Amino acid sequence: MAFLQAVIDGLLVGGVYAVISIGLTLVYGVMGIVNFAQAEFLMIGMFVAWFAWAFLGLDPVLAAPLSFAVAFGIGWLVQGQLIARVLKAPSVAQIFLTVGLLIVIENGSLLLFGSQFRSVTTSYQTISLSLGPLFISVPYLIAFAMSLACGVVLWWFMRASWFGRAMRATAQNPMAAQLMGIDTALMYKIAFALGVGLTAFGGAVILPYVTVFPGVGGQFVVLMFTVVVLGGLGSVAGAVVGGLAVGVIQALSSLVFPIQLQNLVLFLVFILVLAVRPQGLVGASR
Amino acid sequence: MKRWIVIAVVIAAAALLPLALDARGYWIRVLTFTLLFATMAQAWNIIGGLANQTSLGHAAFFGIGAYTSTILLLKLGLSPWIGMLAGGVLGGIAALIIAIPTMRLQGHYFALATLAFGEVMRVIANVWTPLTGGPGGLSVPFMPPSFAGYSFKLLLPHAYIALVALIIVTAIFEAIRRGAMGYRLRAIKENPEAAEVIGIDTTKVKLQATVISGVLMAMLGTLYAQVAVFFDPDTVFSAAAISIRIALIAILGGVGTAVGPILGAFFIIPLEELMNDLLSSRAAGLSQLVFGVILIAVILWQPRGFITVFDSLRARLSGRAPS
Amino acid sequence: MSRKSSNSAGLSRRTLLAGTASLLATPLVLSPARAQAKPINIGVIMPLSGANAQFGINSRNGIELVADEINAAGGIKALGGAKINLVVADATSTPTTAGTVAQRLITQNDVTAILGAFASSLTIAISEVTERRDIPLLTMSFADQITGRGYKNIFQVVAKASAIGKAQLDYTSAIAQASGAKIEKIAIMYEDTAYGTAQAGGLRAGAKAANIEIVMDDAYPLGITDTTPLINKLRASGAQAVFPVSYLNDSLLLIRTMRQQRITIPAIGGAAGYVIPDFEKGLGEFAENVLSIAPANYDLAPDLTERFRKRYGYFMVHEALEHAVALDVLVQAIEKAKSAKAEDVAAALRGAKFTGGWTKAMTGGAVEFDQTGLNILSIPVMVQWRNKELVTVWPKDVAKGTAVWKS
Repeated sequence: MAFLQAVIDGLLVGGVYAVISIGLTLVYGVMGIVNFAQAEFLMIGMFVAWFAWAFLGLDPVLAAPLSFAVAFGIGWLVQGQLIARVLKAPSVAQIFLTVGLLIVIENGSLLLFGSQFRSVTTSYQTISLSLGPLFISVPYLIAFAMSLACGVVLWWFMRASWFGRAMRATAQNPMAAQLMGIDTALMYKIAFALGVGLTAFGGAVILPYVTVFPGVGGQFVVLMFTVVVLGGLGSVAGAVVGGLAVGVIQALSSLVFPIQLQNLVLFLVFILVLAVRPQGLVGASR
Repeated sequence: MKRWIVIAVVIAAAALLPLALDARGYWIRVLTFTLLFATMAQAWNIIGGLANQTSLGHAAFFGIGAYTSTILLLKLGLSPWIGMLAGGVLGGIAALIIAIPTMRLQGHYFALATLAFGEVMRVIANVWTPLTGGPGGLSVPFMPPSFAGYSFKLLLPHAYIALVALIIVTAIFEAIRRGAMGYRLRAIKENPEAAEVIGIDTTKVKLQATVISGVLMAMLGTLYAQVAVFFDPDTVFSAAAISIRIALIAILGGVGTAVGPILGAFFIIPLEELMNDLLSSRAAGLSQLVFGVILIAVILWQPRGFITVFDSLRARLSGRAPS
Repeated sequence: MSRKSSNSAGLSRRTLLAGTASLLATPLVLSPARAQAKPINIGVIMPLSGANAQFGINSRNGIELVADEINAAGGIKALGGAKINLVVADATSTPTTAGTVAQRLITQNDVTAILGAFASSLTIAISEVTERRDIPLLTMSFADQITGRGYKNIFQVVAKASAIGKAQLDYTSAIAQASGAKIEKIAIMYEDTAYGTAQAGGLRAGAKAANIEIVMDDAYPLGITDTTPLINKLRASGAQAVFPVSYLNDSLLLIRTMRQQRITIPAIGGAAGYVIPDFEKGLGEFAENVLSIAPANYDLAPDLTERFRKRYGYFMVHEALEHAVALDVLVQAIEKAKSAKAEDVAAALRGAKFTGGWTKAMTGGAVEFDQTGLNILSIPVMVQWRNKELVTVWPKDVAKGTAVWKS
């Protein structure tokens, strides 16, 4: 019974980890860049949703598309002005540019918004559904449902829309894509903006149960990277699998090991998986 | 021949520099940490630069070194010099342990796996309170000043120790780079399959480089512990403050070159201090923000590191193409 | 010719760096000499970035309030009306950097004393520097190590972590008993930080001494995003009261998850996240009647602490209050020593008792340091959220309201 409860909790939480991390893997998949600043867009999404709640009375889950839009816009600018300039540089330079970006965004919001911890109060925050002896937390359930919806929309976009296919083409072979008439520079902009937008969307969705402050990104950075690498860098399906896996591993480990060791167990599993499958659970060798 | 003269002069100037500063003061402390971080980045450079394996988990070795020598000092009264050697041994073992599961990993996967390993060590140090003092951290006990006990009243000896460490580690780096191991590492970097074909045991070479890097990094942990006097798991096993920072230093300076880590450290550490000094009282977060902006600007300007400024300068002056 | 140029290119850069370093090493002249008494520099090192920025800013605000009051009232009388000049700097989140910052303030700003740095690890790192330079350090960090090393230049204005943890338990037992309930089984949950671990130790000691069974005793990683495993365990443990020691995000998570699972046992927080305005803002009605231990509380001296609320718009959180007291005590010591020299001020602080001024806001109405630097008059208080305010409810002799115990 405790096992079942843990699995349910793990899946619900994992679904959200997935939606937060999909953006990271998308950016890597299309552009080959590991964006260390990705978690900062989570924070931006949370702040946008918080302000929408504080001043417009919008439930954060409803404000999620707004978070997406704002982050999309910022991501568009960042890609065009900064990332694009280092696309030809050694990958380490790209990584550390994003580290610089992380510092700027985090401290920029500290200056803009102040250090207070902001959280929302929603009607469903302290409610959970009872399924027999099991508890299903409503905020988690809603977050999971939104993540699912987001995932489906993204999947449709990548498969069926022209932009999606163009992005996948650019990811597979930029030169060929360009020869086919695809504006790869535009594709990169869209991919990056979309990627950070998705993470921001995830941020809004978790606001009912996570408090936002300028440094909140730091709590999620390592988690996001674990999810993405575990699933396979560049694979959207991998991010989903990775997210669910991480959620379930964390939940199950607390049944057997002290909760304090939650992350230790996660990282050890992570290292072991990579030792056996260097390309991640779902990833194809690139 | 000329190169040796330059190096000798530089070392002499560097040796005199600490004497120009207040021996108990602020700048000597900044200089000591700058030299220390330059040395750490140089140790990282051995696999980050020569083997092209961007490790983001070097804090694991560093913390092992810091904790080993301090624990031995606290529990057995052992001199930190001996503790440093013990730490080096453990660091080497840790390097072997990390290297085995990560051997086949490429680029970003390797980086993140090593990051995870660093975090594993941090959690262990945090949880194993009876041994490590847990989250409360450890203080190097106040000992009467003596060289054998690695205890000094002033900061000046620490600066010199750091300088000597930098010279030694740079010498090791250069020896590897110019020697057979460096040749093999370059071959592996260029084309791992071809390297195997011509008979290079890629696994063995990478393992050797990792162990050397790990041993050196662990020994530097002891130096840090003796200067900082107090540390906790979050300080010495830190991904951001140690692992990522030393990689950043080496890369900003010019990864894979001997001078790169030195340039990088002398840029970043004093810059951070300056930002803190000038801006941190004005508004919370301002000093860090400006630092981040400068970082981005520098990377945009010189994505391959400061060394490229050097190289193009040198090339232009000598009429040769940059190497 | 080319070789010579390359040498000079390499050499000149080095000399430039060396020259710049020496230039910067020259003591900076900060301001022209003033006609009246020279201002006294007091260092304020707080985390002004990173996860503790909120608390660092609160602390700085408390110090600034008192500094402005003292300056407006004519400065330091014993030194001819010399004004207090606060030299504020960011400790960052790295202890070693905090140490370097302390060194800078000592060397470049010639500070008489330093106040800082909220987080115990930062304070300990700074104390390593100040002890070796004989500069007094005043703090409200409360890890037991701070006063446990025999240092002569550290002065802590609140009780130790283990004492706070023990009080958290003892007061709870007393309050429960006063309401006719008896506690036999408790749960402890704490962040695995220095603060959480130290206080949990105190809780354990208190439980052991009172023969109370600890049915759950779990540390959790800082930054945990999902507390359901903890609450599941709590539910299964049969505890009659839970003692969480956490910062804000986890405190909200824990209380909300408890509500979700309809767990209504009393929660007695361990200060930090439980006693800041954001806690009430986050929980709304669910914050009502939550108890927490605190090193000090603003309702003990409203005539003083309401000035903070007036200026900054929120009630005087305990770290702001304690730092305000620390500055007041420091200034009293400077007046007593009639000197701005660090050694003289440290001597005036050691083993001394201070009354009046802001010391009235502490329990005992005064501050008295023993030989280890601990304020022996400070005892923790139990506070309870009532209508968006924190009311002191225990011990009875300082309480401003009656404790409400819902079991």
